[in-house]
Amino acid sequence: MAQTTMVPAATRAPKAGKRNVMPPVLRGFLWAAIGFVVVNTFVDIVDPFRGHPFVTGPSATFGWVAAVIGWLLGVGVWESVALPLFGYKDRWHEKSTGWRRYFEYSTDHKVIGLQYLGSAMGGFLIAGAVAMLMRIQLMSDHLTIFHYPSNYLTAVGIHGTIMMFSVANVALLGGFGNYMVPMMIGSRSTAFPKLSGISVWLVPAGILTVLFSPLLGAWTTGWRGYEPLASQDANGILYYYLGVAALTMSTFIVGLNMVTTVMFRRAQGMTWSRLPLFAWGQLTVGLLVLIWIPEIQTTFVLALLEKLVPFNFFAATGSVMSYLELFWLFGHPEVYMIAVPAFALWNEIIPVMSQKSLFARDWAVIGLVFVMMLSGLVWAHHMFTNIRNSELLPFSFFTEMISIPTGFAYMAAIGTMWKGKIRLTTPMLLILMSMFNFLIGGLTGVLLADPMVNLQLHDTFYVVGHFHYTVIGSLVFTGLAGVYYWLPKMSGRLYNEFWGKFLSIVLFLTFNLTFSQFFLLGLHGMNRWVPAYPQYLQPMNFEVSIFAFFLGASFLGHFIHIFWAWAKGAKATENPWNARTPEWFTTSPPPRYNFPVEPEIVSSLYIYGSKQPVSVQFPAEQELAATKDPQDEGGPHE
Amino acid sequence: MDVLGFGIVWVVLSILGEMGVRVIIHNDPMYYTASNIGLMVESAMDFLIVVLVPIFIFVGLTLVWSMIRFTVKRGETPTLPEKFARSNKWFVGSWVIGSIGINLLFFLHPTASATEQFFAMENPQAAANKQAIIVDVTARQWEWIFSYPQYGLTQTLDANGQDQLELPVGRSVKFVLRSYDPYHTYDQYVDVIHSFWVPSWGIKEDVIPGEARSIYITPTKITSFAQNPMSRVQCAEVCGPGHPWMEAPLNVVSSSQFAKWIQYEKKLQSGLG
Ligand code: HEM
Ligand SMILES: [Cu+2]
Ligand SMILES: [Cu+2]
Repeated sequence: MAQTTMVPAATRAPKAGKRNVMPPVLRGFLWAAIGFVVVNTFVDIVDPFRGHPFVTGPSATFGWVAAVIGWLLGVGVWESVALPLFGYKDRWHEKSTGWRRYFEYSTDHKVIGLQYLGSAMGGFLIAGAVAMLMRIQLMSDHLTIFHYPSNYLTAVGIHGTIMMFSVANVALLGGFGNYMVPMMIGSRSTAFPKLSGISVWLVPAGILTVLFSPLLGAWTTGWRGYEPLASQDANGILYYYLGVAALTMSTFIVGLNMVTTVMFRRAQGMTWSRLPLFAWGQLTVGLLVLIWIPEIQTTFVLALLEKLVPFNFFAATGSVMSYLELFWLFGHPEVYMIAVPAFALWNEIIPVMSQKSLFARDWAVIGLVFVMMLSGLVWAHHMFTNIRNSELLPFSFFTEMISIPTGFAYMAAIGTMWKGKIRLTTPMLLILMSMFNFLIGGLTGVLLADPMVNLQLHDTFYVVGHFHYTVIGSLVFTGLAGVYYWLPKMSGRLYNEFWGKFLSIVLFLTFNLTFSQFFLLGLHGMNRWVPAYPQYLQPMNFEVSIFAFFLGASFLGHFIHIFWAWAKGAKATENPWNARTPEWFTTSPPPRYNFPVEPEIVSSLYIYGSKQPVSVQFPAEQELAATKDPQDEGGPHE
Repeated sequence: MDVLGFGIVWVVLSILGEMGVRVIIHNDPMYYTASNIGLMVESAMDFLIVVLVPIFIFVGLTLVWSMIRFTVKRGETPTLPEKFARSNKWFVGSWVIGSIGINLLFFLHPTASATEQFFAMENPQAAANKQAIIVDVTARQWEWIFSYPQYGLTQTLDANGQDQLELPVGRSVKFVLRSYDPYHTYDQYVDVIHSFWVPSWGIKEDVIPGEARSIYITPTKITSFAQNPMSRVQCAEVCGPGHPWMEAPLNVVSSSQFAKWIQYEKKLQSGLG
């Protein structure tokens, strides 16, 4: 029968003598291509508008849906989920070792976590390379490497879209969320392993959709897809909506999975008052995701229909402002989906590295929760230049107030470090750098929160500087810190302390030299979305680009170092930092179901001192019972 | 001990920082400000910077201080005290109250105060605004069209046929902003969002299709695009491939010079028409 021949070759004993099947990812591509061509052709046939090219707006849209389904089935969902759903025997054999398991469907949250991290890194490299092209263009005041301005604008859109939806929303949430949160709360799996095994494959699909969108024509709106301009654009904009739909769907499933896991899968003794900070961060962000991601998805469906039908929802004859409101209703919470896990991670790593009890833990948690709640009340500060005058003050009020709970993360971090015994390792150094950069991002934001000052700074490079400081400052520096911190856990190996620190310092310097000058460019009259600009801005732009290239290189350096450490680094002990959170109370890398038995949490996780209590225990009688074979227990297979 | 040392270093650095800020303020952090609104924006910005500098130094210094004072050598296992303080009501209390206080201050001044000032400047009944020069601004892909209905001018151009905005110094101007394409009235998507920005005036206002918006501004300096390139009308919201070039030079001149220019434009218009 068909389903037996589809079992991937590597997992099968050769005795059966069945046909060799291609690797799942390759099969995914093939099925995606078949799905696209079949459905695209079908739509062409039924589409009453004759005389269009082979790929039209509607056919590309429906073809895309088929392609994504084909892709998901191809990577393994066919045998593992689709066939069993229809009553066939589950023939999917999940690999528990080897690199191949990262390139196919899996239900192991640790594999999924690394798949998310890998996709985020891929997205970062792609969008980063696009940023380099943009900076090459901006070295001169007229068009050079981009021959048409719309090509440059498409590049800006691809850069922003991939960075936001497949890096910022993915690395800490899908990546470390999936990998670490279950272990940190002492669970042996997540709540929805199958669903998240599927969702992670939407990320590469989304990235590729956005990346190849120019094949359907340039789009000029940037990552916000402002109407009515979007409806004027070529069909490439459709693949912006669709790519984002795939990526946000993935984020939504991550949010659902994290919230449910944290709520229902905590080990014995993992009370709310003991819950690790990073798990708190994931929970609050998960709630943000569940509220706001459906909102933006709905908006993008409307925008897609506006383009395909068209409806005139958001044109001058409809309501132009509606799109802006709908976009930023999501757009501001989005910023906190990015930043909150980073705040949480600061206070996760700092007590460990400072060997000191976490200071003012309650305030740190209150900060996360209040940031989450306030983040839905500030969206119109992105719209000070177009909302009514009567709306200026209320929105600037909430915007200014949100810096108070944000500050609590700093308060807890500073209180913890003060008089601690800080081990200035690479992750700790990166956290300090992250806090410094985000501080600049935050304080420059105070200027933007003032509506009058905003009227001058809005839509200039000042804003571009501000949000790169907040996003790279929080997400990228902290994300790198997380990678270095958990590298021993994930790979069983250590990075090189000299190279880690050296690369971090280079990164810090080049980052600041590049983006601090964005503020000056903006104040000097440089507007956004321009491949050409008045001549007087050229010398500074030239110099910024040079620093930006070094910045790009130092990111590459970090990635190379991480890959090297993963493969060749010195062997790490199980708990090299003497951390107290449960993820460190198992082997590195952890076994399939994380712990031999479900651990029990017996004291607070952030207490240090010469008389510090034990934090995690394994009930002895269960341990005996479990020695037979933890691999088979509780697993969904065979 | 550490607290005292930290306090001293913080105060010293803050004083140095504030001295540095004076230099920046003296040289105008906005580089070039030439309107009544711009001056107000500038003073709001100056105030914010003055208050933010000690805050920046405080937080930044705690990071550096921890890095220098509280680190242990690599491989060293320090003896930890029996237990660490997990809260400190003075620190937490002053942080929470302090951050609430500073934010309330910012909201009252400059946010509310400057915004109220702005509302007063924008009041059509204000004495200065009653005699305002009216300029109808039409934003289209990709051009700024300026017309002066009080002078019967439908589109003002320079000698090369480029759109041109010229105004007398010290007099209120009422800009009426519309996004509308007089040449393509049949296309519902051709009207997109633009943003009317004059960098030297310190203000921008989005131009939304289907809406007419107005804004009053008084230029305060005689200047021109040739003299300072920040004196230009620049579209600030992405509006398609022509966006980078959607700009027009702005000249602010004396009132006699302005009268001459109006005469010149009238001649140009009748010559064309
Ligand atoms: C690797 C270093 C990076 C460089 C040199 C860089 C540079 C730039 C530049 C030059 C722009 C165009 C600004 C404009 O004209 O509006 C831009 C836009 C943007 N960047 Fe980056 N960027 C970098 C990394 C990132 C990262 C890590 C993120 C987020 C995770 C990010 C998110 C964005 C977004 C959202 C936009 C706005 C795009 C739009 O206007 O639609 N960037 N970046
Ligand atoms: Cu425009
Ligand atoms: Cu524009």
